[in-house]
Amino acid sequence: MGRQVAIVSAGFSEHASKRSDVNMAELVSEAVSDCLKNAPGVDFNDIDAYVNGNMPAFEGVNLPELWMTDWMGARNKPLLRVTTGGTTGGTVAISGYYTVAAGLPKIDTVLAVAFEQQSQGDTSVGLGSVAYGEISVLNTMGIPYDQLSRLLSAGAAIGVAAYQATNYMSKTHITEEDLARVVVQNRHNAAKTWWSHLKMPDITVEEVLDTPYISYPLRYGMVCPASDGACAMLFTIEEKAKDMCDIPVYVNGVASVANESAVLGYDGSGTGQIDPSEQLGAMKSSELAYYQAGISFPRKEIDYAEVYSPFPNQELMWVEKLGLFEETTAPKMYETGVTSLKGELPINCSGGVNSTNAIGASAMERPAEAALQIMGKADNQVPKTVHTSIGHGWGGSLNLCTLMVMSDEPQRKWRR
Amino acid sequence: MSEDKVIVANRGLVRADFNFWVGRYLDKFYDNLENKKVIGNKCTKCGAVFVPPRKVCGECNVVIPLEENWVDLPDTGTVVNYTITPYRINDRTLRKAKNLLLGMVQIDGSNTSIVYRLLDLEPSEVKIGMKVKIDWAEKPKGDPSDIKGFVKV
Repeated sequence: MGRQVAIVSAGFSEHASKRSDVNMAELVSEAVSDCLKNAPGVDFNDIDAYVNGNMPAFEGVNLPELWMTDWMGARNKPLLRVTTGGTTGGTVAISGYYTVAAGLPKIDTVLAVAFEQQSQGDTSVGLGSVAYGEISVLNTMGIPYDQLSRLLSAGAAIGVAAYQATNYMSKTHITEEDLARVVVQNRHNAAKTWWSHLKMPDITVEEVLDTPYISYPLRYGMVCPASDGACAMLFTIEEKAKDMCDIPVYVNGVASVANESAVLGYDGSGTGQIDPSEQLGAMKSSELAYYQAGISFPRKEIDYAEVYSPFPNQELMWVEKLGLFEETTAPKMYETGVTSLKGELPINCSGGVNSTNAIGASAMERPAEAALQIMGKADNQVPKTVHTSIGHGWGGSLNLCTLMVMSDEPQRKWRR
Repeated sequence: MSEDKVIVANRGLVRADFNFWVGRYLDKFYDNLENKKVIGNKCTKCGAVFVPPRKVCGECNVVIPLEENWVDLPDTGTVVNYTITPYRINDRTLRKAKNLLLGMVQIDGSNTSIVYRLLDLEPSEVKIGMKVKIDWAEKPKGDPSDIKGFVKV
């Protein structure tokens, strides 16, 4: 059994659609500085190793992790880059966890850094590169790239999400108003978070519904922005964590599960899969991570959740698939305020990916924010005490889910 | 089969546009090149001077403030490394053309070196440690091309 790992700090850079005032390395250094500022007892000499990552091909330069070595304080230290598409941030965080848990000599404290400067790279080309796994299946059936982009992924990721949304809406019999309500909650929450991108404290459901469609049922006002930003998380062993911060957040379960080919059909059958909102990956990853963390009743035992939802239908879908609510009941929870800041189970109080999406960093910002909520240091802090929280990531080519379960108590069940 | 038949043909051209933000530190550096001036910035801890300027000193892990610690430097320097190549990227017809000299030049008063062409020099003349100075472009634009290269002092 690996060592018990704790999060002692997390930090963010400022997010905006175009951070042309900084280069990629300088952007990352902002998040690293903020992370260390939140843990005054830690300096660069205490950090033993680094994990770094962003969405492949979105950055527009090769080997950005090597370029930014000095800007992360990683000179002459072990450094690993991980990229898994949209889930990169989640995978980088999990890799930070693995590096500490492994128990290697002289490696106790690890800084995990995830970033994206989307204003520099070409997002569509980047998405083309990650979607290639499935494109190759289509190519064997004579459907070329340009037709595919029209058929499937018009407008990049929204092309995938639109199918999910249609499925989900017909299953749950909800209206676009329910989707807009999720957006409004996120935008209001984002307004209270310093690093978030789309801050709209006064937006209403009507205003969201008044914007034009991008791809039915998703409207312009419902989708995430493309942001530039970075996030950093500091992981260490239980023994050192207590000296580094007031309230260490223990990582009690991690999982990363893929069921790709979810949209175009299994085994290259070529026909659209019946239900892209089925999301077995999310169900399997949560099953595993909750088991590791000793959670039997997620709805009761989890106090706070950050889920990866660039689009509002996904937020509803994830909270159900992750076991926080019964299937098809999520829209009701948003309507009745259960998921609001002061609710019983607050969701995405940072505004979520829906309000800030620096893709490579987004899936790390979820566990980072969920950890800060336990520490009581989040910008938009929930009033109730958070003991256990989850941070979820979605991405890959179409369907890879990462999950990190965190708590203020270490999980002793599996450890001597 | 009597004739070769192409069953599936995929022909596509994917165009990728990338930007590169240099950031405020390098921005200031290029602005000064426009006035034929070289500037660097100095680590607040170890005193190392960087050309081009940078936000973080990797040795000390210190953030150098944007507003302070700028150093005006001369346009002279020392060759610390070099290579000689007849090869031209994207132009193979000129492969047997004149040798091109590339040098790493440490601007006097700085601790780092920049890579530029060494101009008006015979390959036999180049030596590590030789003094050179910047050959400025006639009309500087505030970008890396403002330095055409380095010539012998």
